[in-house]
Amino acid sequence: MVIKIIGACMTLGACATMGFTWAGIYEKRPRQLVSLGQGLQLLETEILYGATPLPEAMEQVALNCSPEVSSLFSCTAAELRKMEGVTAGEAWERAVAKFSAHSALSQKDQQILRRFGVSLGATDREDQAKHLKVALSQIRLAVAEAEAAAKKNAIVYKYLGFLGGLLLVLILY
Amino acid sequence: MADSFAVPGKKCKKDGESMVCMISRDILPVLPNRIREIIVELPGDILNQIEEIRLRQGKPLIVGLTEQDALVTPLGQVTTVPEFGYTVTDQDMKRTVQLISSSSIYAFEEELKNGFITIRGGHRVGISGKVVLERGKVKTVKYITGLNIRIAREVTGAADRVLPYLIDPVSGEFCHTLIISPPRCGKTTLLRDIVRQVSTGIPKLDFIGCPVGVVDERSEIAGCFHGIPQKDVGLRTDVLDGCPKAEGMMMLIRAMGPRIIATDEIGRQEDAAALEEALNAGIKVLTTAHGAGREEISQRPVLRYIMEQGIFERLIILGRSRGVGTIEDIIDCRAGKSLL
Repeated sequence: MVIKIIGACMTLGACATMGFTWAGIYEKRPRQLVSLGQGLQLLETEILYGATPLPEAMEQVALNCSPEVSSLFSCTAAELRKMEGVTAGEAWERAVAKFSAHSALSQKDQQILRRFGVSLGATDREDQAKHLKVALSQIRLAVAEAEAAAKKNAIVYKYLGFLGGLLLVLILY
Repeated sequence: MADSFAVPGKKCKKDGESMVCMISRDILPVLPNRIREIIVELPGDILNQIEEIRLRQGKPLIVGLTEQDALVTPLGQVTTVPEFGYTVTDQDMKRTVQLISSSSIYAFEEELKNGFITIRGGHRVGISGKVVLERGKVKTVKYITGLNIRIAREVTGAADRVLPYLIDPVSGEFCHTLIISPPRCGKTTLLRDIVRQVSTGIPKLDFIGCPVGVVDERSEIAGCFHGIPQKDVGLRTDVLDGCPKAEGMMMLIRAMGPRIIATDEIGRQEDAAALEEALNAGIKVLTTAHGAGREEISQRPVLRYIMEQGIFERLIILGRSRGVGTIEDIIDCRAGKSLL
């Protein structure tokens, strides 16, 4: 009897955890997008007001932004510092590929970052400002969308995990 | 071959064979890979002579050598036939511009206005293309279609021959000196080496090093990259990089306390006023002027005025009668006679 109860609790716990993990992924995306937006804002300051050369600017941003997204900026800086004939666009592209592999970003989010990289560092200040603005507004939209999705899906998965566990216990009991 | 060649950041020895090393350390990193490979394949004697690398969109790659220039083939050979030359593509240009600016064109607006960017190592890259104006003034250069990478050489000891004449035998002080030279005769190289030696001190002449202020309007003397001199300009040298001469001289006089002020190519009205200011502050002046000789100098109003004021104690006249940087004459202006 005692063993049965312990087993039921464990099953319920495992299923609930599963539900919370899935919900966690949905909640991670808006958080990462917000951090990315903040990172790009820092980059904007470095480029527009500091006129800092890109490798340094990227390093500065990596130091000051949320650790969740800092690898994107530090990776770009590292690629540029190698001086292997890589342009900023290519360095950014590589960093985005590496970063997306272990992030919660959707394909669409990655597309925003990629498109932003094309003109990175290749034009004058005014033009950089425009591209930063576009990327920032797109990220803002993506954040809103991701938040809505998170709200809806996170609750669903949390309930689903818990109730699924409960169902399993009832069937097996 | 490429492995032994391109090591960015490597320290180079300071003698003859260092030319190849300098190119691989400073110049190759700013070239796109295609062109890097071509330059690496160039024969050694050509590499040692390179003074400039010219990239023009849609035109063959050209290297400027000491005497003439040469077209370069895709295999890194020198040719005179335009059809055999490697044609610089639109991609090559864009890539080079990005590499030169470390992918930060936005950070080089001032430099673009002046028509050149200084890269690591103090080499200057000249820029041409479509100029964008704003209220009648150059705002930036768009569609960059021509680049000239000028390799700056340092000739340590270039000033050895002239220095004994520039130090007053009685007071032991440095004399007000004007270097007169036609373009490309080693004027800046000589100026830089004089600065280096008087700033560090010259034991051979019992000259103790003294503070030198350099106003480097075109980043030619010290070749600053991010404000740090890339050339050896001595121990006691302060450099104002990219600063207009007249203003720069005043800035240095105010608080940097130089004993000698060095600057390149005077000739404007305000330069004369700043020179007089420096003189009144008891500071020695070392500067240069474009011209073939004393007569040509006195045809330019500002320079004539300066000469008439009797500011300068020594005139060094450069030429290329026996190769670049030949010292044609050194004149003691007070006595009005040649010292050679």
